[in-house]
Amino acid sequence: MAAPEVYSLAQGPITAHAFNQDRSQVAVSLNSKDVQIFSKAVNDWKATETLSEHDKLITSIDWAPNSNRIVTASQDRNAYVWSQISDSQTGRLEWKPTLVLLNINRAATFVRWSPFENKFAVASGARAIAICSFDEESNWWVSKLLKKPIRSTVLSIDWHPNNVLLAAGSADMKARVFSAYIKDVDKKPAPTFWGEKLPFGTVCGEFASSAGGWVHTVSFSPSGDVLAFAGHDSTISIVYSGSGPAVRTVRMSTLPLVTLVWASEDSIIAAGHDCQPYVFSGSEGGWKLIGSLDDTSAPKSALTPSRFSPGGPGRLNSAAFNTFKNADSRGISNAGAGGGSSQGESELFTVHQNTITSVRPYEGQSETTTKVSTTGVDGKLIIWNVGSVATLTAKLGSTHLR
Amino acid sequence: MSDVNFRKIDIDIYDEDVLVETELYDADPRDPAQVLNDTKQKATAVRSALSKGDTVGALTLVLEDPPYGPGVDEAKNLNLQTLVSILNSTKSAEVSSVLKSLSPDAQDTLMKYLYKGMAMPGWGDVSGSVLLGWHEKLTEIAGTGCIVRVMTDRRTV
Amino acid sequence: MSNVLRPYLAAVRSTLTAALTLENFSSQVVERHNKPEVECGTSKEVLLNPLTISRNENERVLIEPSVNSIRVSIKIKQADEIERILCHKFTRFMMQRAESFLVLRRKPVKGYDISFLITNFHSETMLKHKIVDFIIQFMEEVDKEISEMKLSLNARARVVAESYLTAFAS
Repeated sequence: MAAPEVYSLAQGPITAHAFNQDRSQVAVSLNSKDVQIFSKAVNDWKATETLSEHDKLITSIDWAPNSNRIVTASQDRNAYVWSQISDSQTGRLEWKPTLVLLNINRAATFVRWSPFENKFAVASGARAIAICSFDEESNWWVSKLLKKPIRSTVLSIDWHPNNVLLAAGSADMKARVFSAYIKDVDKKPAPTFWGEKLPFGTVCGEFASSAGGWVHTVSFSPSGDVLAFAGHDSTISIVYSGSGPAVRTVRMSTLPLVTLVWASEDSIIAAGHDCQPYVFSGSEGGWKLIGSLDDTSAPKSALTPSRFSPGGPGRLNSAAFNTFKNADSRGISNAGAGGGSSQGESELFTVHQNTITSVRPYEGQSETTTKVSTTGVDGKLIIWNVGSVATLTAKLGSTHLR
Repeated sequence: MSDVNFRKIDIDIYDEDVLVETELYDADPRDPAQVLNDTKQKATAVRSALSKGDTVGALTLVLEDPPYGPGVDEAKNLNLQTLVSILNSTKSAEVSSVLKSLSPDAQDTLMKYLYKGMAMPGWGDVSGSVLLGWHEKLTEIAGTGCIVRVMTDRRTV
Repeated sequence: MSNVLRPYLAAVRSTLTAALTLENFSSQVVERHNKPEVECGTSKEVLLNPLTISRNENERVLIEPSVNSIRVSIKIKQADEIERILCHKFTRFMMQRAESFLVLRRKPVKGYDISFLITNFHSETMLKHKIVDFIIQFMEEVDKEISEMKLSLNARARVVAESYLTAFAS
């Protein structure tokens, strides 16, 4: 069983990541207002470029594989499209931003290129999704807003392979499928299971999470006929569009999932607050959790020098507490190091040490993904083999009580 | 200058897009009187199940279609009381096996009641140590996911 | 650890673990702001049901979760007047120095003695399980601390009384 490739890009959180087409470069946002581009060195990633234009936290990044353009969304209510242009004086290739007229008055939370790369969608806290297309005349991107019936911040979006349908998950506990058809850009779409006539803004489906959690992530299956979404109520739901929507829900005994990706038409990889990517498998008959890509029972001596033992409550002599104690009784204050994230004298069983915020396909076709990449709040970028699924051991019962 | 009270006006309540409490979940289709009636019948059924020593059956019964939403406080309290009587009468050695035979839905609902019971210590014959004992066993079996669902589910019991 | 304390702390631990599932969430009411939703409470849908864990009437923990922050309030055991005074002084001392404790709130929630406010920025810079450990350890220590202070206070009172009364004993 091949071990995952682990790269530590930063100490702090990575809010989003996106690879270029040949996977030689990765654009990440290190919880800041700049985009960092890392290039692959022999066994590591080296920061090579910084794209700065936003003035608040960047929430999402997407890299169009064929047209080689990066789109970024930020809490400053803006999005920019970056393309490589050779500088007129030096002749060097440089990333230059193009303006996007978003017309939203709250944070942009999520951005994705459409499959044909002629449009992209920006989710926002303004209870709207902006569908953007390029306006040749003025050399900027213009947007059209999808508003009704969204009632809260949109947390994630995903494009259907036909370039027209768009799925959105939002904090009002619903996952929805919209038509994002734009007359001058799109050809008339062929009818799908989701609907036949699709003018802009049509709601083709609305699905509530079973126990009322915010819908953190949505994704269409490779064929586009099936939609998966995961909510804050620790459930993952799979919606079959044909024959009157049928929803299959898997209730988990662990913490909520925040991101998911389809590995093939019958398997999903999802990750979240439990710090490890889970594998789900199933068909229209029903879905179940089959295991994790992170083999938490295998020895990881190289990665975790000392294992965290889930002892009784409060039995840990935590570094953070000692810091406070020192400050309290001896007047020594080093609040800066109070986090204890660098000391790492107790670690989790998993490779990721904190919430995984993003999982994306890394290698293989969309129907048969062989590798996926994850980034998380712990600043690690990890590339996993989809094939090596570790079955969940009986230990699960004790690990979630850490 | 003379009147600065306008600064204290909460203008956000006039925002039409904002979600209000009642829109967060689907209301109970039954009317309050009927809910109370159902709960009373359940309480009787539970008592007869308990006298036969059928703890699992009694728990399943009381956790089915629990009263939720506004206006049914009486039914809610009655159901909690019925539940607490089951919890108090179960031997601690049996708790795990009883919990394992409950459906996931019933486990989630039971967790809601455990938190509700803990929020009102000293009410009726609610005992903190009994509830904490059940809570610990239920967390072992149903996991933290069960607690997360208590927090997210707006259909509070 | 007494038999009742263990399940109590275990319940607090598992509930905190479940509640500390935070993310960065920009305000949908005020533009370009990012504030703890549990404190402003302007968007109902991003707040979750508050949960209480209680051992008895005098010892309980309130956990109020939301999308980007949680508020943990603790009611510390106070059996008599002396413990009440000690507890008040102790929590006041800490809360006046709240900024060096990072997660401490300057004022407790009504009905409780001390409150913590943990936001997504804390859970990003610190390890989540360590924050949980910290709160649990705090709950353990604070009881011990207060009973120790009570003991030394009583001992001191005894010494004072003795030396005062020896004047009349002769």
